[in-house]
Amino acid sequence: MTSANAEMFQASGLNKRNERVQNSYRILFGLMTLMLITPVLLILGTLVAKGGGVISWEFLFTAPTDGMRTGGVLPALLGTIWLVMVALLLSVPIGVCAAIYLSEYAGDNWFTRTINLAIINLAGVPSIVHALFGLGAFVIFFGFGTSILAASLTLAVMTMPVVIVATRESLQAVPQAFREACWNMGATRWQTIRRVVLPNAITGILTGVILEVSRTAGETAPIMFTGAVFFTPFLPESVLDQTMALSLHLFVAATQVPGIAEEVPFGVALVLIALVLTMNSASIAFRMWLRGKKKW
Amino acid sequence: MTSKSMLLSISLAAAAALASGAVSARTEIQNKGSDTLVNVAQSWAEQYGKINPDVAVAVSGGGSGTGIAALINGTVDIANASRKMKDKEIAEAKAKGHDPVEHVVGYDALAIFVNKSFPLDSLSIPELAKIYGRGGGATKWSDLGITIPGCKDEIVVVSRQNNSGTYAYFQEAVLGDKGKFRQGTLDMHGSKDVADLVEKTPCAIGYSGLAYATDHLKTLCISTEKGKPCVKPTEETAFDGTYPIARPLMMYTDGKPKADVKKYMEWIMSDVGQCIVAKEGYAPVKKVTCK
Repeated sequence: MTSANAEMFQASGLNKRNERVQNSYRILFGLMTLMLITPVLLILGTLVAKGGGVISWEFLFTAPTDGMRTGGVLPALLGTIWLVMVALLLSVPIGVCAAIYLSEYAGDNWFTRTINLAIINLAGVPSIVHALFGLGAFVIFFGFGTSILAASLTLAVMTMPVVIVATRESLQAVPQAFREACWNMGATRWQTIRRVVLPNAITGILTGVILEVSRTAGETAPIMFTGAVFFTPFLPESVLDQTMALSLHLFVAATQVPGIAEEVPFGVALVLIALVLTMNSASIAFRMWLRGKKKW
Repeated sequence: MTSKSMLLSISLAAAAALASGAVSARTEIQNKGSDTLVNVAQSWAEQYGKINPDVAVAVSGGGSGTGIAALINGTVDIANASRKMKDKEIAEAKAKGHDPVEHVVGYDALAIFVNKSFPLDSLSIPELAKIYGRGGGATKWSDLGITIPGCKDEIVVVSRQNNSGTYAYFQEAVLGDKGKFRQGTLDMHGSKDVADLVEKTPCAIGYSGLAYATDHLKTLCISTEKGKPCVKPTEETAFDGTYPIARPLMMYTDGKPKADVKKYMEWIMSDVGQCIVAKEGYAPVKKVTCK
């Protein structure tokens, strides 16, 4: 009896094999995850190791001097902040409103399906094509010239799908029961959206904004044609000025300036990444604060 | 204050700030074109900004063709070019109501770069034509009787993208009026890329403005024919015309320069402006003594 019991709880050959297989899959997937983060660590490590040395207050807060070989990145840093901010101001309101319409008002018919298809296709258009569109539409046709406005409009068009899709997903994640409860209390559709749906979806919308910031700050092709220049000695003062930008400055420092110190391009890249991370952490902090207030 | 109205007021404040700054008091001079000239143009803009803070010179590269196209479309004040405008381009500009005026602002010796391990110090123009020309006949270094240590004989021919003024000038000066580049060249997108590639590749040969010469590669002495004495590319030999592949560097304005553009062009031609040309590794258009 006892021996039979003991045998019953003994691991059989099949159990052992299952465990071996299970372990090897765990290790395999673990290694894949490690492989995933290796490039990130390598990139950040290389940038810090090679470019960390040039980072100083002077590097951040002075203009390039001596034919861009010395000095800092201030005009490019400020230029990128301008471009990102103006692009956000242009695309977030339109994107969020469009997403609200698509998710809360529009029915599921051929028209909205076509719009959705168009949005997905817009997201898939290569940035260089957006660049040409921006050059033709904003720089030449609307006559904004090469300017922050034209570049930011181009970036806004390019990143709009990100905002729309993220917003729509987060609106749809708000349970339908919330809306029904609200409607049953006699609230209008707009009251429901404003008081119930949007407050519950705001964290997801901010995720879209974070994604947009990262993409906008890093893009080079669209701004190269529409508003960013190789060099200008002054800081941007209005949306009709041209500006330097970190991403283009990185390209220039890495390929166009003879006799530049090797650390400088790495330093520029580090500043760009740090800028994106800082902007993102601000909105992540805001998102966490909002999430703390969430009731469910 | 709820979070929503806070967001709203932040964006309103930002919009107001943007709108208030929408008109700028500065004059902007748009300057675009040649990648050969872009570093000189950048230095000019940088120094001019210090003495004349009311004028902002915005410099972009892209190649001589890019600058000339922008002048034809009327989107720049000054186009930089390392080649002359073609008759067709001038006609196109005139058709659109622009009148390109040429200003020679410096000279550039087109340096021929090879890897440090290259055994010779000089090549002749006909030899370059054999390497670069279509049907030129030399695809291996042994075709020219040259063996390079660390190279399997195949010539790695490094050239430039076809809207580059450097490309156009090399074609004209080395391959002749009717000459064409051979197929299979590596067309780099900038002079520095050419220098970087040649530095790393024992089999390679490339060309660029003299300003891109470094200690890590060999700059060849060039003769007009094999056996004749060769001339090293320097600022002096570019200026006095003894170096066989030297070219003028140009700026084009729309009509005779006026107002701020005129002042800027005059400053470029002054001793200060020309010393910047020399400092960036090109030859000034006149004798200047610089600090």
